[in-house]
Amino acid sequence: MKKWAVIALLVPVFASFAHAQTGTKKRRPLPYEFGEVVIKNYSSNAGLSPVQFDHWLHRAFYTCRLCHVDIGFGMKANATGIRAADNMKGYYCGTCHNGKMMHGDRNIFPSCASKYTKDDLKRCTRCHSKGETVPRDYSFATFVEKFPKERFGNGVDWEKAEEKGLIHPIDSIEGVSIKRPPLATQKDFAIPAKVETMPEIIFSHKKHTVWNGCELCHPEIFPTTRKGTTKFSMVEIFEGKYCGACHLTVAFPTTDCQRCHSKPVR
Amino acid sequence: MRRVAGAVVTLLFLCPGGAWGNFALPPEPPPELYGNILISRTYRESRVRPATFSHWSHRRKYTCQVCHTELGFAFRTNDTEITEAENRDGKYCGACHNGNTAFGHEDAHCDKCHNGDLGYGKEKFSEILGLPASKSGNRVDWTKALEEKRIAPAAFLAVKPSSDISYDKTLTLKAEWAFVSPAIFPHKKHTDWLECGSCHPEIFNIRKKTTKHFEMTRILKGEFCGVCHMNVAFPIRDCKRCHPSIKRSQ
Repeated sequence: MKKWAVIALLVPVFASFAHAQTGTKKRRPLPYEFGEVVIKNYSSNAGLSPVQFDHWLHRAFYTCRLCHVDIGFGMKANATGIRAADNMKGYYCGTCHNGKMMHGDRNIFPSCASKYTKDDLKRCTRCHSKGETVPRDYSFATFVEKFPKERFGNGVDWEKAEEKGLIHPIDSIEGVSIKRPPLATQKDFAIPAKVETMPEIIFSHKKHTVWNGCELCHPEIFPTTRKGTTKFSMVEIFEGKYCGACHLTVAFPTTDCQRCHSKPVR
Repeated sequence: MRRVAGAVVTLLFLCPGGAWGNFALPPEPPPELYGNILISRTYRESRVRPATFSHWSHRRKYTCQVCHTELGFAFRTNDTEITEAENRDGKYCGACHNGNTAFGHEDAHCDKCHNGDLGYGKEKFSEILGLPASKSGNRVDWTKALEEKRIAPAAFLAVKPSSDISYDKTLTLKAEWAFVSPAIFPHKKHTDWLECGSCHPEIFNIRKKTTKHFEMTRILKGEFCGVCHMNVAFPIRDCKRCHPSIKRSQ
């Protein structure tokens, strides 16, 4: 009897935990924080601050595909398990951050090293910068100043920025990428919304393949089955599945409903 | 002992949250103070008097989404990291308070916000008294005022939302207690001021059959409907506006 009383008392307690995540608003990341990834697999063991990676800077210069397919970065923070040794061998960050690679007329600063002087240590904090005040080469405010504005995320319409020729993300690096002729992209199509009277989603492969190719999404995030067989819901997307793999944290966020639910309701 | 434990358990199930008959409605301020806030986030360090802000004076001209989406203001006082530098840079208040749209950040205007007076500007309250009346809050039925086009608040400042989602489904939410009539939720009346993402999925997740968690006890703590309807949108004590066929209204 006592046992049952305890269980009965605990059930509502656990039930309230399960729903604790809704009810109020979360803090919305500031424009310069949106897309920030904190990498801390091994940093503290090495006596360093976690790495702060800003998507806003990198995505202006390189396509998503380049890092997430060719270089092999995972799609979730800390899922890649990057080690200093990997970077030194020229994998992950070390693919470009090797002290040799050029970006325009700038030499891309080298990442991790096994031998370093006291002066070199300053370089560590350029990436291992979470919670540190580090002088930066690029200021977010000036960097995005001339880019077309958007209400969410970084406050930048990246798609338009590329259309207008304000950014030119590179899609391949010699020795890392293998260039293949592009596949023909499907025309834009409508995905019916589950909820009645919600506008249908217009999905554009063309807009996605510019930065992602095919392989970033298929077949893992979106199985390549016949059209209409995968049913995805907003609940799953909000959990980080399907579109949510990018559109919660890096690409324009799902709060910008009308950007996808854009087909006028008749 | 067992009986007592049993009774406690039964009681807990009967009155969720242990709040039976204990709807502590918040005190109702005078109409001209309803929705007014004092922003005091950095008050201790800066020793500058808290900034006063009145929702009624702003919502006449701008919908909620202008400030709470486009300008990034949080939904709770002092949560937004507003700084003078950001305001001067055209962020937050500075998006309008720049000397063009509204008074700017020149020294002459400091006291207009940083006066620590919750009732500042109440002499202008008479300007909104001609709007459709309501029994509570600002004593103004803002929804009606908008529907009757007595006010025409702007939906955006600089960046136009992609398109309009006119999702107008009205939900009927069964009350927790058998003797309370259901609450109605009209999407349209909310999307006139806000957008989907203002409430979904953070305040209200979109899972089906989860409405049973919108208990009044949690709403009164400022969750769910209480995020807005405790201090800005028409107040909770206006029972009939959500529970239209309720017998007794405060």
